[in-house]
Amino acid sequence: MADAPKLVNITVNGKKTTAPAGTLLIEACKQIGIEVPSFCYYPGLSLQGACRMCLVEIEKMPKLQTACTTPVAEGMVVNTESEKVVQSRKAMLEIVLANHPLDCPVCDAGGECELQDMTYTYGAAESKFIDIKSHRDEQQWSPVVFFDRPRCILCYRCVRVCGEGMDVWALGVQNRGQGSVIAPNKQDHLECEECGMCIDICPVGALTSGSYRYKTRPWEMNHVGTVCTHCGDGCLTTVGVRRSDTGMEIVRCDNRDKSGINGDFLCVKGRYAFDFAANQERITQPLIKRDGKFVPATWTQAIELVADKFKQVVQKDGPQAIGVIGSNRTTNEENYLLQKFARLVLGTNNIDHHRTADFPAFAKAISENKARTASMRDVFEAPAVLLIGNDPTEQHPLLAWQIRNNVRLHRSKFYIVNSQAIKLRRQATQFVQIPTGAEARFVDFLSGNDAAAGTLTQAGASNENLSQLRDALKGEQNLVVIFGSELRGADISALVKFAAPQNAKFICLGDYANSRGAADMGLFPDLLPGYATFAGAARYQQEWGADVPALVGMDLKQMFGAARDGKLKALYVVGSNPVSRYALDPFVLQAPFVVVQDMFMTETAIAADVILPAAFAYEKSGTFTSTCGDLQMLRKAGDVVSVKSDFEIVVRIAEKMGYDVRKLVPFGKGLRADMGQSRGAQSGEADRHSVWLQARGLEPKVSPFDPLATLDEIQRLIPGYDVSQINLVSGNDEHTQLVQIQNASIPSHPELVVPSNDTLFTSGTLGRYSTVLNSVMERRATGKEVAAD
Amino acid sequence: MAYLVSHPDEVKVISSRFGKGAADIDRYLELDGYKAVQMALQMGSEAVINEVKASNLRGRGGAGFPTGMKWSFVPKESAKPKYVLCNGDESEPGTCKDRLIFEHDPHAVIEGAMIAAIAVNAHKAYIYIRGEYRYLLEIMQKSIADVYARGFAGKNIFGSGYDLDVYWHGGAGAYEVGEESALMESLEGKRGVPRIRPPFPAVVGLWGGPTVINNAETLASVPHIIMMGGQKYADIGTPKNGGTRLFCLSGHLEKPGVYELPMGYNLKKMIYEVGGGISNGRKLKAVVPGGSSTPVLTADEIDIAMDFDSVAKAGSMLGSGGVVVIDDATCIVKFALRTMQFYRHESCGWCIPCREGTDWLNKTLTRFHAGGGLAKDIDNIRYLAENMLGRTFCPLGDAAAMPTIGFVKKFREEFEAHLEGKPCPFEKHGAISQLPVMSH
Amino acid sequence: MGFLKNVSAIAKGMSITFGEMFKPTIVENYPDGPGPLRGAVFQERFRGMHVLQRDENGLEKCVACFLCAAACPSNCIYIEAAENTEENRISGAERYAKVYNIDYNRCIFCGYCVEACPTDAITHGHGFELATLNATNLVYRKEQLLAGVPAHVGQNVVFNITEAAKQKMITK
Repeated sequence: MADAPKLVNITVNGKKTTAPAGTLLIEACKQIGIEVPSFCYYPGLSLQGACRMCLVEIEKMPKLQTACTTPVAEGMVVNTESEKVVQSRKAMLEIVLANHPLDCPVCDAGGECELQDMTYTYGAAESKFIDIKSHRDEQQWSPVVFFDRPRCILCYRCVRVCGEGMDVWALGVQNRGQGSVIAPNKQDHLECEECGMCIDICPVGALTSGSYRYKTRPWEMNHVGTVCTHCGDGCLTTVGVRRSDTGMEIVRCDNRDKSGINGDFLCVKGRYAFDFAANQERITQPLIKRDGKFVPATWTQAIELVADKFKQVVQKDGPQAIGVIGSNRTTNEENYLLQKFARLVLGTNNIDHHRTADFPAFAKAISENKARTASMRDVFEAPAVLLIGNDPTEQHPLLAWQIRNNVRLHRSKFYIVNSQAIKLRRQATQFVQIPTGAEARFVDFLSGNDAAAGTLTQAGASNENLSQLRDALKGEQNLVVIFGSELRGADISALVKFAAPQNAKFICLGDYANSRGAADMGLFPDLLPGYATFAGAARYQQEWGADVPALVGMDLKQMFGAARDGKLKALYVVGSNPVSRYALDPFVLQAPFVVVQDMFMTETAIAADVILPAAFAYEKSGTFTSTCGDLQMLRKAGDVVSVKSDFEIVVRIAEKMGYDVRKLVPFGKGLRADMGQSRGAQSGEADRHSVWLQARGLEPKVSPFDPLATLDEIQRLIPGYDVSQINLVSGNDEHTQLVQIQNASIPSHPELVVPSNDTLFTSGTLGRYSTVLNSVMERRATGKEVAAD
Repeated sequence: MAYLVSHPDEVKVISSRFGKGAADIDRYLELDGYKAVQMALQMGSEAVINEVKASNLRGRGGAGFPTGMKWSFVPKESAKPKYVLCNGDESEPGTCKDRLIFEHDPHAVIEGAMIAAIAVNAHKAYIYIRGEYRYLLEIMQKSIADVYARGFAGKNIFGSGYDLDVYWHGGAGAYEVGEESALMESLEGKRGVPRIRPPFPAVVGLWGGPTVINNAETLASVPHIIMMGGQKYADIGTPKNGGTRLFCLSGHLEKPGVYELPMGYNLKKMIYEVGGGISNGRKLKAVVPGGSSTPVLTADEIDIAMDFDSVAKAGSMLGSGGVVVIDDATCIVKFALRTMQFYRHESCGWCIPCREGTDWLNKTLTRFHAGGGLAKDIDNIRYLAENMLGRTFCPLGDAAAMPTIGFVKKFREEFEAHLEGKPCPFEKHGAISQLPVMSH
Repeated sequence: MGFLKNVSAIAKGMSITFGEMFKPTIVENYPDGPGPLRGAVFQERFRGMHVLQRDENGLEKCVACFLCAAACPSNCIYIEAAENTEENRISGAERYAKVYNIDYNRCIFCGYCVEACPTDAITHGHGFELATLNATNLVYRKEQLLAGVPAHVGQNVVFNITEAAKQKMITK
């Protein structure tokens, strides 16, 4: 790393301060709390100097200078509030407003518009100009992007974020002078990744979202920061909700507050694909199958039926006759509770989930080599990144964003080994294309087996390329190694062994929002939470006050096999669709009593005897672990009457089965309750009192349905999860390391790993029911790449 | 062939080969062509720069920056290739000097660019010619082909071991590209918009390499300086303003045309003697001394020397040497409107004050001239122009604002004569019929 | 002295009482008075039940900007916005209020909504008979609040093309 840049002394408005040489004046001012207004300046994007709002007076310079393009220099004396500057600022606003329509009452940006804010702050309320404003009709560029030309102030933020940030280059400028207009890449419409970054970055209401358009106003919504429910990257998203007939309706998702790992980044799924929540086909009441038909039932009826049946099976056929399948999309607390339910209440280790990456093997490799995992933040700061397999642009958009911007802003090195010419190759220092399925052989080659090179060279990579790459990688310190589900089992070990000596950090890519969490929470027939084998069950038995069944359970495929053989009498499927994911025969589910907890009538749900309507991530609280291991907290935003969180359903079933709920959920601990009356906090407001209490574990967990009580237990039990709760509660991400897990005998089942192969425009079951995702034309034409500038 | 004019007061340096068929390389060689570049090769970089410094040659594009100093700013060592760029994107209304040079003496520009390249140790020179000068592009293309055919350019020029390539490039019709950084963008094949400075082109220019960019007339003067010696050239003009320059006299004159006069020539004399006085026996109302972007001078202010410093003292700029003479039958409001129509059309749209400012000035002036003006409009026009001045991204905003401020300041009574729905006093027919169509 | 003072005071008071007996009454004869208001008389400034205004073309003035709801101190205005289309044009701007409810259980007739309205769509009318035996009746819907279609527009409201087409079908 280069030495820290020299500090220079500057004076701003009489305040003396220092800033590293090369810092832009606008940033240096921000550091000491002096705001210099600007439209076109956006941290992380190339400099523009176009809006002229940030003009400031610098001593010894005759003209006003733009603070956004001027680097600080030793002895610089700046005045950001002189009469001349204030006058100029006001005049610039007047000039911007000359042609900007004053249709704030119908403009979507009204209330969160930078131009509005500046007009209020710097005062340009009266217009001097009486001529007719130029007008152009509004255009629709895609199902999700609308463009209203007259409102556009041409700050070029959208053009830059699309090109530089997303590497899509779908927006540009046409014409010149007053006729200048932002234009999409396909004449009258956009063909791009539909990420909607251009909409959020627009300082005014020129670019508006197709799904949020004209629906409500910003101040009418509650804004709840939570974690995106789609891929495993763990983007924070701010969900805008407003009350509706059926609870709280989700109106939009964005991350304009730049909270979380993702800053202001969200992909098409995170930004638009929340609409499945209000899909007509969503199941909103318990259904019980009678005579082959689903009949609506009350929750009491359904829960009683399920509890009775489970109890019967356990008593009659023994615990081995029940199987439980968990989910990649439920919270850590729910997954943890579910495995506890299976092991303690049902008394079986027959628990599994749809595995999208070989996390047990990864955990083993990390602990064997005393290596570390990388957080999503590390990807942005690493001096070098190696990517083997996967296509992050499609499957891990935030990861792709972090890599792209690391390369662009930090000039980091980036190596790709892939069987496809993935889009990220444009950023690559070196791109090596290997034959499909040869990722493992490549790792073999890295580990020193030169003979493996011969089988890798078919797709265009030469022996020389490969050796070059291996040498380069050996020379990289603090490398971040990222690999997809192409690598499993022993290959992961070999890769970690290769790179660990160079202080490398690792990321294993799983597909869904909480795939990593499901694995960490022990949704395995042969592993307890934290990848502990039954040999290490003592800790758990002590915490739980109950014995863990000794017999290794059946995995997902074995359960279906047992169902076919008539040995499995009951199956409890929580938020999963194994029939479709593993291409299993749904007819084997006719014999056992099948309970499915889901939002939609999936292929598995059709075969169920009881369907319990479940809430999804935006409708509950809890935590998610991203695929990198970053732990983040979910907050309840949306609400649909008569659906329940998986947590509550599991607790209710356990209770009806006669199990002591206190043993399942450690609730009721903590101090005397202040139920909120004294705080006067309203919904949506930052409730500091509650944050303080929660952070110290003092918040009373008075309900058995409170997942935070379970989080306490998780933090006590699972190595790496003992992170600061205050950070979690205040919406930050906490990286969980796998290092403490010392267990050489972790079983791994590479054959059970089935990647979801989702693209930017699909997202498992949720994606199927998202109208917006299905409406963008790129969904039908994936694989097309837009040329770089 | 453009019609050439002449006057006894002229000092023919740049124009010494005009009308002598010097576009032909053989004829050019007969007229001492390509001798200066060979001298430059022998003198070496340092000596060439010193000679140009001694000549007090100042950039002919408008800003008047000393050329020798500009060249000396280019770093000696550079990891990236260095470039010399000839700015032949002559678009300033009232200016038509480069056209004559390209037509009558294209090799002088090539030779000047080569000398500049030798001075800064660059191996590539580009000659960028305004896109509308279609026929000049053909002349330049042929001239460069001739130069290569003779071995004057390419590898090992004149057997000196020095490699130097010369290219020509045509513009795409944007006034904005006359600005040096926009010209570089255009040459790189991008949108013709200016770049953020610093870094200046001398450090980071074309394709990131150090770049010298000079006006065509500046470069055409260089061979003469090398031939006659810097001091001798400097002696022609006034102190700090060396040599001669081509003045383009246009407007209501008896004998408009391009005259090569020494720097510091009196403006009044230039109008009444060289230009033959105001046409049709009318009286002088105003003079725009340096192309449309310079503030206007009234009839009382013209007794000044035409060099960079004296004109600046009079509150205007020497600019690109385009002297536009306005007689007393011309409506200043209409003149201001016509000027603004040009700038509105040519604004690149990059920065807000220029894009919106030119458009709204155009709208207001259009309405104003048509008789729809309000008393507050006069102040608004000035307010808008003053807020563009010095606050735009590049000098185009200044170029639009400066003359406008000048018109309002110096001819306010003419603006006031348009108020209260009165038709323009200079229009024979009703003013409303003269209303140009506003395009949105 | 004291006695005389008392008598004169009573006489003075009684003179006013008897004097008033012969003056005409100024009490409003509501609800037994004449006319549609049944005797009620209002000052122009009286803030009664709201009226959602229409423009001269009969289109609704409300553009669903939610500013009234934001200004409302008692949080009694509920709006759902929707976008105008070519076929279905309700208001003059891009969008209109699909649902516009005022809860008169909560309204305090402060007039802030009227002040906040950028399009002069919401105004206070003089309607005041809001009493009811069932509180749920006090949530007034847009249809109850809307002003009538201007007479000159009459029945020929062509802005709602689908409506017009339907009507055509019916008349055929």
